[in-house]
Amino acid sequence: MFCEKAIEIIRELHRMGDGQLPAFNEDGIRQVLEEMKALYEQNQSDVNEAKSEGKSELIPTIKFRHCCLLRNQRCVTAYLYDRLLRIRALRWEYGSVLPTNIRFHMCAEELEWFNQYKKSLATFMRSLGGEEGLDITQDMKPPKSLYIEVRCLKDHGEFEIDDGTIILLKKNSQHFLPRWKCEQLIRQGVLEHIMS
Amino acid sequence: MFITDIRKEFYDFVVNQRVALLVSSDIDALCACKILQALFHCDQVQYTLVPVTGWQDLGTAFLEHKEQFRYFVLINCGANVDLLETLQPEEDSIFFICDTHRPVDVVNVYNDTQVKLMIKQDDDLGVPSYDDIFRDEEEEGGDDSGNESDGGSEPSGKRRRYDEGEVERRIERQRATREWEARRREILFDYEQYEYHGTSAAMVIFELAWVLTKDTKDMLWWAIIGLTDQWVHDKITHMKYVTDIATLQRHVSRHNHRNEDEDNSLSIDCMRISFEYDLRLALYQHWSLFESICNSSYTSCNFKLWSMHGQKKLQEFLADMGLPLKQVKQKFNSMDMSVKENLREVIEESSNKYGMKDIRIQTFGVHFGFKNRFLASDVVHAAAALLESTEKDESPGDNFIKALDCLSRSNLERLHGGIDLAKKKLMAIQQTVASCICTNLILSQGPFLYCYLLEGTPDVKLFSKPMALTLLCKYLLKAFVRSTRNKRCKLLPLIIAAPMDVEKRTVIVLGIPPESETSDKKNFFGRAFEKAAESTSSRTLHDHFDTSIIELKMEDRTKFLDALITLLS
Repeated sequence: MFCEKAIEIIRELHRMGDGQLPAFNEDGIRQVLEEMKALYEQNQSDVNEAKSEGKSELIPTIKFRHCCLLRNQRCVTAYLYDRLLRIRALRWEYGSVLPTNIRFHMCAEELEWFNQYKKSLATFMRSLGGEEGLDITQDMKPPKSLYIEVRCLKDHGEFEIDDGTIILLKKNSQHFLPRWKCEQLIRQGVLEHIMS
Repeated sequence: MFITDIRKEFYDFVVNQRVALLVSSDIDALCACKILQALFHCDQVQYTLVPVTGWQDLGTAFLEHKEQFRYFVLINCGANVDLLETLQPEEDSIFFICDTHRPVDVVNVYNDTQVKLMIKQDDDLGVPSYDDIFRDEEEEGGDDSGNESDGGSEPSGKRRRYDEGEVERRIERQRATREWEARRREILFDYEQYEYHGTSAAMVIFELAWVLTKDTKDMLWWAIIGLTDQWVHDKITHMKYVTDIATLQRHVSRHNHRNEDEDNSLSIDCMRISFEYDLRLALYQHWSLFESICNSSYTSCNFKLWSMHGQKKLQEFLADMGLPLKQVKQKFNSMDMSVKENLREVIEESSNKYGMKDIRIQTFGVHFGFKNRFLASDVVHAAAALLESTEKDESPGDNFIKALDCLSRSNLERLHGGIDLAKKKLMAIQQTVASCICTNLILSQGPFLYCYLLEGTPDVKLFSKPMALTLLCKYLLKAFVRSTRNKRCKLLPLIIAAPMDVEKRTVIVLGIPPESETSDKKNFFGRAFEKAAESTSSRTLHDHFDTSIIELKMEDRTKFLDALITLLS
């Protein structure tokens, strides 16, 4: 039946919930596009036939194929758009450098889009807050204090904070550090915020 | 050097700096750490907290952090060994040590620049005076060369006379030096012979908080737990405990006074600390009364519960108080109110008849919310059980974190988990003691008693940890003193050995001083172990901060013991 491949790629994306990005299903998209091409060509020939020979019984088939084409188009755009939204969220979560395993899951065009998005976000942030710009990806929730206590969940090695001092992040050590430096690491799961 | 004004010489120093906190693994240190952390949070002092379990750990932690930190705060570690020699720090590293281990090493006391001791000097330290131990070497050399040059410029006739005089003086000087050295060795030997504990670290840090007027009830509660830890693990004398309780009682009344002044009394969820003259039964409010009596060392040793006779006496005791067995075996909270009402007084009266004069002890309890009441000793047992839990996948660092967490009020499930573990630990201790006494595993070796826990003993893994083994050892000695008829054995100290690491084939050995009413808790086994190990070249590891606890290779056990026997006879 037509449009089944399109539904399949959407289901696959839907299964990986919660913002995770699965590998780009190049194969699936290609198959859908081929199906669309086949349908379109069949439609073309039928339309020509209907026009020239006046076979009006072909018209329902043509309409049917047209609906399939529209459906496939809708599915593919939904798939691509949802992936783009997830990639956008990744910028807010991981920062401007993505981990390599995630980058493997993106196709070349998506990487291009990500870079462009990064650039626009950076330009926007620079335009705020006077000369230096304002990093709006920090402090996603209103902070309660300047410094927070964090506990190290895994060995992360050395970590540099603003005034140049280096802290050794070893498993099970606890530190009292400025909030803005820790947020990244908390999101990555290296540090855990302790509330006493 | 000793710090006299803890605010100016310690706190004001570190408040604008970044500090590394190296904390030892015992409950007193954990409490001191919590109080200090709370103070640092108030003043936004950036710090890094690293748990350490022994000297090697301390060395590694120091090496890792010495590039990044100038100020190190050591809690319950570092005072009893020459710190600068062990760690070899740079010139600008400064160590603030808050340690209960005594005697404080003389080099640490007399170092003016790098080692600062947060120890009150009225703590009965007995540090030898400077001139008795240290001596400037240059004076001696100057005298000699001066005399020699004088002797050399004189003509030969007179020189002979001068030479003789000079030789005499030199002999005199050498004799004086030898005498001085001998006296120095003696003084140092006396000073360092006995190991004991001083004021709780948590109380010292609480006093700092009080001086800064930043003390809160939470901090006071932690100070109370720190002191109670010293009492539960028998580290301080009864007199000292009572004195320190009186000090804390003043703080408690000061905090409680604020409650009564207000028109609206405090909400039920607020923390209330109260002074309690409560029973010496471990965890009795979270267990059944019967179980608690069976598993607390005081009652169990007095009744001799490892024997049938003892069990009968216990039944008599309960009958004497009029407590039905069914009630007593129920969870404490489900006992009838009529039974619970005057429980403490009833138990005290009956205990007096059975020879237990101090079944009640001065302590503190905390109370917040409707359900949550804890005595200080409950929290100590729970935290100690968590700190030394022998679950498979937990490293000492994980246990440290868990124990640290259970001290906060917001982690009640952790605390309840700790209480459950503590119950298992106490039951294991009781059963091991019973089996040791009944199978006569404690042997007299002459100058001391000795007990070895075989590998197949149930729960022996629990006893590979120092605090649990110490509790077992003290309990065992008390029980032995009660059960033996040999008068001489009652005055002997006890050494216990238990398998520590089966793969590396090591045992943990620890010694405790003899049991007596007026014991001053001074332990000489630290030095004894060192000497014995040296003389037999046994493979030992003196890693623990308490020098009376060592790790020894299984094969060297016999020759080590023989050396100890000869040493101590």
